[in-house]
Amino acid sequence: MRRILSIGLAVVLLAGVVIALLRGHGSSHRTTTVHGVIGSEKEAFFADPAVRKAFARDGLTVEVDSAGSRQIATSVDLSRYDFAFPSSAPAADRIQQQRHVTARYAPFASPMAIATFQPIADLLAGAGVAKRQGPVWTFDVSRYLGLVARHTRWDRLPHNTAYPVRRDVLVSTTDPRSSNSAAMYLAIASYVANGDAVVRGAAEERRVLPTLTGLFVDQGYTDNTTEGPFADYLSLGMGKAPLVCVYEAQFVDAAVRNLLKAGMVLMYPTPTVQSRHTLIPFDDGGDRVGRLLTSDPELQRLAALHGFRTADPARFAAVTADHHVPVRTDLIDVVDTPSYDTLEHLLAGVAKAYG
Amino acid sequence: MRTWRLAAVAGALSLVAACTGGGDGDSGGRGGTVRILAGSELADMRPILDQAEKDIGVTVKVDYTGTLAGVQQVLDGSAGRGHDAIWFSSNRYLALHPAAQSRLGPSVKIMSSPVLLGLRASAAHRLGWDRTRPTWAAISAAAAAGKFTYGMTNPVSSNSGFSALVGVAAALSGTGSALDAPAVERVAPSLRGFFSAQRITSGSSGWLSDTYAADPGRADGLVNYESVLLTLNAAHRLPEPLTLVYPADGVVTADYPLTRLSSASQRASEALRSLTDYLRRPAVQRRVMTLTHRRPAVPEVRPGAEFGAQPPELPFPARPEAADALIDAYFNRLRRPARTVYVLDVSGSMRGARLAALKAALAALTGADTSLSGRFQRFHDREQVTLLPFSSTPRRPATYVLPATGSAATLARIRADTEKLTAGGSTAIYESLEQAYSAIGTSSATDRITSIVLMSDGESNQGDSFADFRSWYGRQPLALRRIPVFAILFGESATSEMNALAALTRGRTFDARLQSLSAVFGEIRGYQ
Repeated sequence: MRRILSIGLAVVLLAGVVIALLRGHGSSHRTTTVHGVIGSEKEAFFADPAVRKAFARDGLTVEVDSAGSRQIATSVDLSRYDFAFPSSAPAADRIQQQRHVTARYAPFASPMAIATFQPIADLLAGAGVAKRQGPVWTFDVSRYLGLVARHTRWDRLPHNTAYPVRRDVLVSTTDPRSSNSAAMYLAIASYVANGDAVVRGAAEERRVLPTLTGLFVDQGYTDNTTEGPFADYLSLGMGKAPLVCVYEAQFVDAAVRNLLKAGMVLMYPTPTVQSRHTLIPFDDGGDRVGRLLTSDPELQRLAALHGFRTADPARFAAVTADHHVPVRTDLIDVVDTPSYDTLEHLLAGVAKAYG
Repeated sequence: MRTWRLAAVAGALSLVAACTGGGDGDSGGRGGTVRILAGSELADMRPILDQAEKDIGVTVKVDYTGTLAGVQQVLDGSAGRGHDAIWFSSNRYLALHPAAQSRLGPSVKIMSSPVLLGLRASAAHRLGWDRTRPTWAAISAAAAAGKFTYGMTNPVSSNSGFSALVGVAAALSGTGSALDAPAVERVAPSLRGFFSAQRITSGSSGWLSDTYAADPGRADGLVNYESVLLTLNAAHRLPEPLTLVYPADGVVTADYPLTRLSSASQRASEALRSLTDYLRRPAVQRRVMTLTHRRPAVPEVRPGAEFGAQPPELPFPARPEAADALIDAYFNRLRRPARTVYVLDVSGSMRGARLAALKAALAALTGADTSLSGRFQRFHDREQVTLLPFSSTPRRPATYVLPATGSAATLARIRADTEKLTAGGSTAIYESLEQAYSAIGTSSATDRITSIVLMSDGESNQGDSFADFRSWYGRQPLALRRIPVFAILFGESATSEMNALAALTRGRTFDARLQSLSAVFGEIRGYQ
C-alpha cells in the first residue's frame, strides 16, 4: 500500500516538474549559475542574501569558492570557474597575462588600515607614531619602522601603564606566503623602506628585504586568512592583537553589523595602498557578474554596506556617516603597489626567511 | 554554466528514486555530511554536533586522534582519505611544515582557551598568585625552588603541553619577538628550573586531568587549558578547587580552527560551510561556552564571569627549526628524565610474527624510525630504560641509562639485546610485574618520572593471580603505588583484567589489536 502511494506521489511530482518545465520554456525567467573564485574577504558579500537577490533579479546565481588572492593567481585551477576575483590589482594582472584575457572590472576598492584600541592609539601618539587629525587617526609607517628596527617592546615605550607587555611593537598581519592583506602591508612597508619610492629592480629588492623580513618573521606564527586576526581583534581584544592590519572594509563592515565595542579605533597608515578588488571574466557568465557589480546600483549600494569604496564616493560616505565610523573620505597619501613580479620576489624573499 | 531546468530534472529524478525506495546510494540529506579528523579533546563537542544535525541537517562524522598523529596524517596526505576537514586545538605547529600549506584550505576559529597554570587554592594563596598575576619568570623561580609541583602533558603528543613549553620559553626569552634557535639556548637554564617541578606527564589533556582528579596528592596543580581547569572545578571533583593563575606576561591560546582539507569535495565543502556558520551562531556559541568552558569566538557573545581577563598572547615560533630545537631541548635536556620498565611477554605464544613485531616496536624507539613521530618518540638522552622479559618466570632485567650526550652506543646496545630475545615457556604476568616494581624500589622513585609498560599476548597462567597482585600492590608504600602500569592489549590479552590492572595503578590500556605494536609503543611514549 505504502509503495503504491509513494509511486503515486512520485508520478504527481514528476508531472508537476514537467508542467513547470513547459511553462518555463520561452519565458525570460531563466536562472544561470556562474562559478567564481574570490579572495576570502569578499565571502560575506557574496553570501549576503540581499546580494544573492540582486543577482537573481538579473537571472544569475553566483556560486563562489574562496582562496587567498596569491593562490588564485598561482595554484588554483581556474578552468573550473567563470571568473576570478582576487583582491589586488597585481594578482589580477598576473591572471590576465596567464589566461590571455583583456577584460577586467574593478567594482570596488578598500585601502589598507590598522585596527587598534584607544589606549594603544594614545600610547603610539606619545611615541610619535600615531596622530589624530580631527576624528581620524593616522599611523606614521616611517616612524613605526624605526621602532621595529630597534626591537622596541611595548613595555619599553615611555609612560606606558596601559599595555606593559613584553612583546615587540609589531602590527599583526596574516601569513605573507598565502594572504593578500599581508602582501599589501608589505607593499606599504617596501615603499617607505625604499626611501618613499615604489621598489623596482633587483638592487632595490635586496636593499629593502631585511627590513621587511623582520616585520613578518618576528611576529611568529600568523594566520593564513584575513578573517583570522580580525576575528581575534573583535572577540579577544587588546591582549591578543593590539594592532591588526586589515582592509578598511572589514572595519566598516563590523561597524555596520554592530560588532564594534567602545574604544575600537581605525588608523590609516601614511602612506597606504588601495586593495583594488579586480574581477577577471573567463566567459560570458563571468562578464555579466563583472558588469553587474560595476553598474548595478543595488549591488554598488550593498558593496558600500559591506564597507567597500565604490565608484560613487557618496555611497561610502553615507554608510560610514550612518554608522559613525570615523573614516578618511578623501584618501590622499595612497601609493602604488610594486609590479606583480617585484611583489612576488619580495614575498619569496620573506618566505625564505621562514626556513 | 547550467540552467535551472537541468537541475530541476535531476531533482525530480532523485525524488522519484527516493519515493520508490530506489535511492540506496549516497543520499546524505540536504545538509550533507562532513567527515572530520579531530583532536581527542574535542569529544566534548559531540552534543553540539548532534544538535547541528537536528538543526541544519549536516551529519558530522568525527575520528579522534592525538596531536602528533594528526599532524603526521595531514602531512603524508592520509588525512584527506576519508576526511574533509581537520579540527585540532591549533594549526600552529602543523603550519610550520611547508608540506601543510598545500593540504589545508580555509579555516574558521570556533572557540578559544588559553593554556594556564591551575593550582590548588591553598598553594596559590601561599604563593600570593590568587591576588596578583605572576610573570613566567616568577613562576619558574618558584618551581625551581620547589615551592610547588604540577602535571603537564607531553609537548609532542598534546597541544596543551606544547603551548605551555612555547609560552614559558617565549616569556623567559624576554626579547619580545618569536623564538629562534639561539634564544632556545639562552633560556634553557631557566626552563630546566621550571620543569624540575613537573611530577606528572601525559599523552593527552583528558588523561592528565582524570589522573590528577583521582589522586590530587601527587601535585599541587596542572598546566592545562583554562577549559579543562574550569571543567574540573565545575564538576567538584577535587577536594580543593584550583585557582587559575594567568601569567602576567602572556599565554599561548588554543583557537580550535575548523579547517577544510584542500582535497574536500564541493559538496563536503558546502556542508562544512553550513556547519561553521552554525557553530558561530551566537546562540550556539553560548551553548559551547556553557558546555565546554571554552571562550566564544564571536564578538556578539561576551565571555562569562568564570573567565579571567584575556592575557596577552605570546608569539609562537614561525620557523620549524626553532620549534624543533625547543622540543629536542625539552626531551633531552630540560625535563625530568623518564624511567621506564618494559615488562615483556616472551612466552611460547609470542613465537614468530608477534616476537618480530615486538622487536620492531622496540627498535623504532632506539632511533630506527626516522619519521617525524619516530624522531620525537625515541628514547631520549638521560632516560633510564629497563627491559624485563618474562615467560614462566621473570628473566634477568637489563637496565640502560642513556648519557646526556652521545647516546648512539647505548641505543645500539638496547637494539642488539632486543634482537636476542627468544620466545618459549608459559606466562607469569603478575610475578614479573611485582619484580618490576621491586626493581624500581622506593629510594629513587621520585627523581624521575617513572612508569611501567606491560606487554602480554595472553592470560597469566603461572605464579600469582591478579587477586594476589592486588593485595601485594596494596601493601606497597605510596611512592610505589603511584607508578602507573600502561598495559597493552595484544593477541589474546585478558581485556577486563588488563583494564582492572590499569584502573588499580591509575595507568591506561592501549589496544594493539587494531593498530601495530609499534604505533602503540609510540603512543605510550607520550605518557612516560
